[in-house]
Amino acid sequence: MRRAALLIVLALAAGGCGLGAGESQEGAATLTVTRDFGTREVGTGSADPIPGGETVMRMLQRDFDVETRYGGGFVQQINGIAGGREDGRPVDWFYYVNGILAEDGAAAHKLAAGDDVWWDHHDWGASADVRAVVGAYPEPFLSGIGGKRLPVRLDCADAAADACDEVAERLAEAGVKAGRSAAAGFGGEGVLRIKVGVWADVRRDPAVRRLEEGPRASGVYARPSAAGDELALLDAEGQPVRTLAAGAGLVAATKLSGEAPTWIVTGTDAVGLAAAAAQLEEDALQDNFAIAVEDGRPVALPVEPPPEAP
Amino acid sequence: MIYERRASPLHAARAAVASAWCVVLAGVSLSFEHPLVLLALLAAVIAAAAGARVADRVLLALAFTLPFAVVISLINPIVMREGLTVIARFGTVPVLGELDVTAEATAYGGVLALRALVVIGCFALHSAAVDPDDLLRAFRRVSFRSALTAALATRMVPVLARDARRLHDAQRCLAGAPAPRRAVVRAVAAGALDRAVDVAATLEVRGYGAARRAPRGGGRPWSRHDLAFAASAVGLSLIGAAAYAGDWEAFEAYPTFSAPVDARLLGLSAVLALCALLPFADRRGVGR
Repeated sequence: MRRAALLIVLALAAGGCGLGAGESQEGAATLTVTRDFGTREVGTGSADPIPGGETVMRMLQRDFDVETRYGGGFVQQINGIAGGREDGRPVDWFYYVNGILAEDGAAAHKLAAGDDVWWDHHDWGASADVRAVVGAYPEPFLSGIGGKRLPVRLDCADAAADACDEVAERLAEAGVKAGRSAAAGFGGEGVLRIKVGVWADVRRDPAVRRLEEGPRASGVYARPSAAGDELALLDAEGQPVRTLAAGAGLVAATKLSGEAPTWIVTGTDAVGLAAAAAQLEEDALQDNFAIAVEDGRPVALPVEPPPEAP
Repeated sequence: MIYERRASPLHAARAAVASAWCVVLAGVSLSFEHPLVLLALLAAVIAAAAGARVADRVLLALAFTLPFAVVISLINPIVMREGLTVIARFGTVPVLGELDVTAEATAYGGVLALRALVVIGCFALHSAAVDPDDLLRAFRRVSFRSALTAALATRMVPVLARDARRLHDAQRCLAGAPAPRRAVVRAVAAGALDRAVDVAATLEVRGYGAARRAPRGGGRPWSRHDLAFAASAVGLSLIGAAAYAGDWEAFEAYPTFSAPVDARLLGLSAVLALCALLPFADRRGVGR
């Protein structure tokens, strides 16, 4: 009898059970709350060390006024900014951990050291499925997913050696060591890929080619033409605002179900590709869902719609 | 719980007023969350039961409610994902997912349990101190058929309970193992259906379906107890509404449990209890 009780206690302990919050974790986690695809900051927070049993929801509730639904599992409102409809468009709160849209509830998602949590309140009428964003760079390459660091692989197109070198150098500066593949390899659950090349080359990958179908399919508010010589920049409603041609670049992330995110560093031509590779840095990518590169400068995506004529 | 006329102000008040007073008291408890206010209301309900000479029945009902209250207080921390202070971890549980029990959800479970006790105490008091026949007569003006249905239902329940008791007594007289409870329920249910058919036939013969609303007026004048309990109900409603509108109770369950006690809250608790109990102070004319 005693042995059975001891076994039950050991099994519970092994399953993560116990009294109290558990041990704190060494390392920090950061929190950013924004609205309108990261364009307006609502506030920030951090935890260092991370309290035992800390979840994304608890971290949010420590620093913000949060209203929840469904037994505390769904965030309805942060600091008075509520989900629902705004100007006839559906808006809600979404959260990303290390640039990846979480697939579980915030109350169930435990924090790991290095996690970058980003809550954003945005219009999801054009795409309810923006599964990966670039705004947490150098995450997810640095800390991985769920506290597990994943291998990083650069898939370099044949004619993209210089851009690939630049991307590898920038990753190394951020503390990320990346392997390199000359072939256009496919992705998977256990590898973070960065596809580098002009659009005509990288579009051979089925995950990447989804960008041509628009944000509903890819979660990226830019649509390259199949020929790769044009890049349409879209607003939050998925409508094209302007189209870039020669010298345009793009840094974006997308994600197929069941796979780790795929990042794309591309351009309409070699000049655009080089410009995109040069933007792989924290300052340019911070709090952006994706960026286009126009005249060598980053443009946050989705873009602001043009002002209405008076 | 069966109504029995006793010498008390609540029994002396007309049924509609006494019923409204009980319902308002329950409603007021639903509009507050602070444990001190709920404790004051629970104390007021028990004191009112004592004033109505039905304390034994109300306390018995509360005793039966206790396990239910315990279940509420246990379920809340399991299903709620709110609260910052984790007191126990159960890992990943099927259906529920990651299960962390927080101090806040546990404390709020206690608040919900306390509130359930107050509400059930109010309705136990209602059952024990409000004449159901008078109440149904009052409602007959509003809806004859509904009142008739309710009257039959309230009368059928004690009849069925007596049937069950008789069956149980008969069983005890028989040798051998007692019949399973299911058999008793089946027999009582069959009896209920027979009675229902008989009652329906009788009502049809007497032409109840063609009856119209009962005439207005001709009722007895309002007594001092009617006025006192009506005033108490109005007072409780106004205090409840003012406290809700003015956010008088600074209570927060999540993300951190906060139930500060200050002079205003103590005053609110005292005024609520006093307002509920004042009608019991006048015991003139409460005789059987």
